[in-house]
Amino acid sequence: MISAERKPFEEIKSSIGRYKKILIVGCGTCVAECAAGGEKEVALLATQLRIDAARRRRKIEVKEMTLDRQCVYEFIDQLTPVAEQYEVILSLGCGAGVQAVAEVLPRTHIIPALNTTTIAETREAGVWLEDCRGCGDCKLDYFADICPITRCAKGLFNGPCGGSKDGRCEADPDSPCAWQLILDRLSATGRTESIDEVYPPANWSKMQGKGPRKIIREDQRA
Amino acid sequence: MEGKNSRDYTAIFFCRQIDPDENTNRRALEKQLGRAIRFFPLPCSGRIEALHFLMAVETGAEKVYLVTCPEGSCRYSQGNVRAGKRLEYARGLLREIGLSAECLEITRAPGSLPLSIDTIARGLLGLPRKVK
Repeated sequence: MISAERKPFEEIKSSIGRYKKILIVGCGTCVAECAAGGEKEVALLATQLRIDAARRRRKIEVKEMTLDRQCVYEFIDQLTPVAEQYEVILSLGCGAGVQAVAEVLPRTHIIPALNTTTIAETREAGVWLEDCRGCGDCKLDYFADICPITRCAKGLFNGPCGGSKDGRCEADPDSPCAWQLILDRLSATGRTESIDEVYPPANWSKMQGKGPRKIIREDQRA
Repeated sequence: MEGKNSRDYTAIFFCRQIDPDENTNRRALEKQLGRAIRFFPLPCSGRIEALHFLMAVETGAEKVYLVTCPEGSCRYSQGNVRAGKRLEYARGLLREIGLSAECLEITRAPGSLPLSIDTIARGLLGLPRKVK
């Protein structure tokens, strides 16, 4: 899922500025899973804003809504009849959600309340680990389902750097050495011979350098 | 104990396992203190959420206590441990908006269960014990 973290409260408050009628919109999918922008987090932020406003003797009106997904127009449409009653929308969606809402409501000020980070897995309760950087040219099968772009700090495609110690990365000792993981998994799945393969550099043009990427499926279009 | 206005109160969240007769035992204090105290029984202290703490503060709680089962006594194993982490997270959220985190306090029920929530609450509030 896409992972994100909530922005610091002071930054959010500064973005809101003098607005008094605020609609906070969460998303029930990725950012709910990583406890950043779901219904609970919307309620928490709303409560913080109200307490802060009360302390400063400032009257504000805060409404809370959470969409199933903030990146799908059919869900965003639920905001249309509500949004005009508010001066600003504070979005707890990922970057895609914020921009999708802005696309549907072009005359509404949409403020992002999250910093979107990466594509992650829930490794355990409360721990979200980056697994994918969306390179657009997945070679996980070559590397025993361990992504060297994401999980090797040096992004090496052809074996370890030699700097790891006790299976931990030289650049980030908190992380396991990705190539140790690759080797362990190749061994566990009976594919150690593939370690002799030499892989060319990634085709980075599939990831960057051409503006926003787009996928079109005519069979899926209306 | 009575607040300057009807919104100032003390909130006590607690695990029901501490006092199976809590529904009866908290009535005396509720009658004595009126709106100045509110009890919130939980199926386990680990079910507390940061939102509960913040909403208590928003609705006027000057002090919020979370009473957990003694160490090793949680019937769900780690509920009372998780409760502490949730409280710390809520403290961080209060600090973010410039409030003192000390208004949230966690305490373990002393001794072996069951214990009267009335006795625990009176201890927290510094009130004399109920005369039987």
